[in-house]
Amino acid sequence: MLTVALPKGSLLEDSIRTLKAVGLDFSAFLDPKNRQLEIWDTTHTAKALLVRNYDVPVYVEYGQAQLGIIGYDVLREKQPRVAHLVDLGFGRCRLSVAVKASSPYRSALDLPPHSRIASKFVNCAHEYFERLDLPVEIVPLYGSVELGPITGMSEAIVDLVATGKTLKENHLMEIEQLFESTARLIAHPLSYRLNQNGLKDVIEKIRHTVLAAAPQ
Amino acid sequence: MVYQPPVGAKDLFPLDVAQKRWIEERVQQVFHRWGYHRMITSTLERLDTLMAGGAVQRSTVIQLQDREEGELGLRPELTASIARAAATRMTGSSSPQRLYYNANVFRRAARGTFNRQQEFYQAGVELLGGGGVLADAEVLLLLADCIVSLGLQSWHLVLGEAGLTRSLLSAFPEDIRPQVREAIAHLDRLRLESLPLSPQLRERALLLLDLRGRPEDVIQQVSAMDLNDSQQQALSNLKSLVDLLQESFASPFETPPLLVLDLSLIQTFDYYTGIVFEVISGSGGERRVLGQGGRYDQLLGLYHPQRQTCPGIGFVLNIEELHQILLPTGQLPSQIPASDWLVVPTTPQAYAAAFAHARALQTKDSLLRVEMELGERSPDDVRKFAGDRRIKQIAWVRSAEDIVVETL
Repeated sequence: MLTVALPKGSLLEDSIRTLKAVGLDFSAFLDPKNRQLEIWDTTHTAKALLVRNYDVPVYVEYGQAQLGIIGYDVLREKQPRVAHLVDLGFGRCRLSVAVKASSPYRSALDLPPHSRIASKFVNCAHEYFERLDLPVEIVPLYGSVELGPITGMSEAIVDLVATGKTLKENHLMEIEQLFESTARLIAHPLSYRLNQNGLKDVIEKIRHTVLAAAPQ
Repeated sequence: MVYQPPVGAKDLFPLDVAQKRWIEERVQQVFHRWGYHRMITSTLERLDTLMAGGAVQRSTVIQLQDREEGELGLRPELTASIARAAATRMTGSSSPQRLYYNANVFRRAARGTFNRQQEFYQAGVELLGGGGVLADAEVLLLLADCIVSLGLQSWHLVLGEAGLTRSLLSAFPEDIRPQVREAIAHLDRLRLESLPLSPQLRERALLLLDLRGRPEDVIQQVSAMDLNDSQQQALSNLKSLVDLLQESFASPFETPPLLVLDLSLIQTFDYYTGIVFEVISGSGGERRVLGQGGRYDQLLGLYHPQRQTCPGIGFVLNIEELHQILLPTGQLPSQIPASDWLVVPTTPQAYAAAFAHARALQTKDSLLRVEMELGERSPDDVRKFAGDRRIKQIAWVRSAEDIVVETL
C-alpha cells in the first residue's frame, strides 16, 4: 500500500491537484468540514496523511509515508534523510534576510557583529551567517517573525518571502536572498530502493505531469 | 537526589534480556554451524584506529580523553577492532579466519535529535582472507540462514557492488565526481539534475541513480554500457554471484529474500571495495535495516605494519531492529522463565535442611530452577506468591526427614 504525507496550509491545494493528475484523488482534505487526518483516495489504492509542514519529512524519513510533498525550505532546514525526486514547481518563495526599511543596513555584511537575527529557520540562518563569517546571535521564533525588528528585539530576520507584501506592510525590507524554494516530491529511501506497490510508476507519472505543465 | 541514566542510555530488565538472548542464541548457532569463532575485542579503542577506514566520523564517536593514551573512543562498530587485531595474524595456514562477535557499540546521536539511543547491540561476522565469488556467497548465505533461523516471513536483500559503481563513476570529471557520488548515495535526483554536467554525463548520472531492480534486468542494463575490461570482469563476477545466490535460494530456503540488485547503493567514502548489501524487513509496518555489510579488501592493510592487505568481507545484524520486528510476531518469550521449585524452611531450625534439599534438587537436574523462600510469610501468602510467580511445586521443609511436597 502507498501512503503520501501532505502538508497542511498553503501547499495543500496544489499538492492535491498534482496527485489528482496521476489518478490519486484526495480532494476530501479540501472540504472545510473534513476533520480526518488520514484518508484513502477515491479508488482505494493509496492513503494520504494530513500533517504539519515540518512533520512531512519526518513521516517520510521514518517510512510511515513512502512519499511526501514539502517545500525545499523545510528540507534545507531539517536535512531529513529522504530521497529528493521531483521539483513540483509550485509554492515558489525565497528565504531572505530582511531589516527595518528605516535601518541603515543594505546588505547582510552591513549588520554589526553580534546582531540578533530572529528566525524560524535557525539552521539555515546559522549556516548562512557562518559562511559570511559574521558572528550573530540567532533568536528562534515560531511565528510572526516580522515583530523581531519592529519591537527592536532583533536587527534582522531570516524568513520566507513570497510576494513581499507582508514585509512592506510591516515596513521591512529584503536585503539578501539565501535560496529559492519550491515544493518537492520526496520519498522514503528504503521504499524507493525496494519499489513495492508501483511506487516508481507513481513517481514517474508525477514527473511527467510536472514536465508537461512546465513553461517551455 | 535522583540518579538518572545518561540521555539515550537504556537498562535491560530480565524479560528484555530473555528476548535479546533468544535472538542472539539463534544467530550464534548459525555462526557456529558455518565454522565461525567468537572474538571479543576492547570496548575502548584509540580514535585513530576507529577512523582509519574512513567509514567512521569523529562526530559520531563518544570520546574519552586519557592523559597518556590521548584520544580514545567507545567503538561504534566492531570491524575496525577486528581488523586491527587480526591484520598481523593473517599468515599462511591461519587464513582464512572466520570470526564472529556479539557486542555493544556506542554512537553519539546526531545533532538535533533528542534522546536517541546511544548504545546498541550488534552480532556479526568477518570472513578474513577470502576473496572472490565463493566467499561473497558464503557470507550472504550465512546471512540468509540467520534471517531464516529467526523465522522472519518476508525480507529483502538489496545487493550492490561498490567497486563497480565507483568505477562507473570515474567517467565523471574529478572535480565534480564527489558531488555526483554524494547525490547518488543520498538518492538526491534534484541535486544531480542541477549539477553542471554535459547532457551525456547527466544521462549517465541519472541512469546510475536508478540502476536497480530485478538482477537480470540490471545486469542487462549495465552490460549495454560501454565497459572496460575490469568493469566487464566485475560485472561477470556479479552475475556469477547472483546466479549462485538464486540457485541456492531456490531449494532449501523456507523464506528466500526478495533480491534487489542496486548499483546506486554506495557510500560517500571508499570503505567497501566489492559487494555491499542491506537486509530490509519485509511487508507491513515500518521498513527497517536489519543488517548490512560488504567487502573491504583494503581495510586490513591499513592496520598492518608493512601495509600488507588481505581480502575481507563481513556483515552485522542490528539486534534492536530485529527485536522490534520480531516482537509483534509472538515468537519472542513473553515471560521470564518460572522457577520449578520454591523451597520453604518452616522454622529457623530447618534452614540448613532447606538449603540441602534445594541443592539436592539442583544436582539431580541441572536445568531445574529452585528458589528459596526468604521471608516470614504465612503459608497462604507463600502459596499466593508461588502462584503469582508461576512456580509449580513447593517443598515445605521442617527437617531433613520431614519434607512435604505441594503441587500447585
